[in-house]
Amino acid sequence: MEDVRDLKELQIDALREVANIGAGHAATALSQLTNSRIMISVPQINIVRLEEVPDLLGHPQEVVAAVLMHMLGDLTGRTLLLFPESAGRRLCDMLLRRPIGTTAAFDALEQSCLKEAGNILAGAYMNALSDFMGMLLLPSVPSLVVDLSAAVLTTTYLNFGHERDFVFCVETEFSIESPEGLRGHFLLLPDLASLKAIFDAIRLS
Amino acid sequence: MTGAPAPNETIVKVADWAAGRTDAVLVTLGLGSCVAIMLHDPHACAGAMAHILLPSKSLARDATNPAKFPETAVPLLVQRLATLGADPRHLVAKLAGGASMFAQLMTPGSVQMGERNIAAARDVLRRAGIPVTAEAVGGGAGRSVRFHVADGRVEVRSVGADAIVI
Repeated sequence: MEDVRDLKELQIDALREVANIGAGHAATALSQLTNSRIMISVPQINIVRLEEVPDLLGHPQEVVAAVLMHMLGDLTGRTLLLFPESAGRRLCDMLLRRPIGTTAAFDALEQSCLKEAGNILAGAYMNALSDFMGMLLLPSVPSLVVDLSAAVLTTTYLNFGHERDFVFCVETEFSIESPEGLRGHFLLLPDLASLKAIFDAIRLS
Repeated sequence: MTGAPAPNETIVKVADWAAGRTDAVLVTLGLGSCVAIMLHDPHACAGAMAHILLPSKSLARDATNPAKFPETAVPLLVQRLATLGADPRHLVAKLAGGASMFAQLMTPGSVQMGERNIAAARDVLRRAGIPVTAEAVGGGAGRSVRFHVADGRVEVRSVGADAIVI
């Protein structure tokens, strides 16, 4: 496959199912970490022009905490975990066992905490994919930035992706049951070449 | 820098451009490794901005959008400014953007797209004979910019930092 627009409906459905398995395991991990109920959306396969990437999810001008990791092994690509800033703070409160509303800034401890959460979630997601597809998938170290959603998403594709025209992501939105309705996004960004490996593994080539 | 834009403000999206005169304010939000190229003729009080995405047309199969690349964006801005009464010989440029986010995940030795965008923008401007008078480029943080055509002033903001004016 040379162009992501060539994906067939059946292949998109299959990718959704693969994402659902990964996101289900990631949600279970997050649920155990935070001792809360986690809801996940039906995964979406979004295909957009590179210049439309800022509008891919949520509001381009929203400040987000984002954890990017490389995916290595039998598939190559990246995973990106995005939380709106307020949800990122609240997640730090939960993971660091602080009273709600305590986390004010993303200092060294908070940054480490979010990276660790990213690590655990991406690890659970990749493990589930490894088991399901009989592959070896390895996560890299995580990297965190707190910046505008538009800048994070564009840079993720520009600096780390190989596609310069149309790009895609496999996206799952999750929400943590709480009065404020905390939400976040988990993005699987396989390289185009790795899509073939996924379809081979699930006999859809 | 959120909320509804003022009446004289124009938002320039990714791989887009705008030009204006007198009290126009050209705004672009959330520059990561992209670069905002801003051209200004102080005499004619005209200015234009392009939000470029890639350093070269050769990187994309679809090169039909001139605002996406410095090599096509700069001639377009110069031409549009001329229709607003600007003299190409009076033009000066400012650059913002080209950040390297998630730098620790880059392969050692590889050149970041942000740096490539900055270098390509400078190169195109040099060949066009347009001096770059100020820059807010590189680093690890994204930027939002407000370009005031009235006096050529550019406000640059990053998350968690004070605004600077270049």
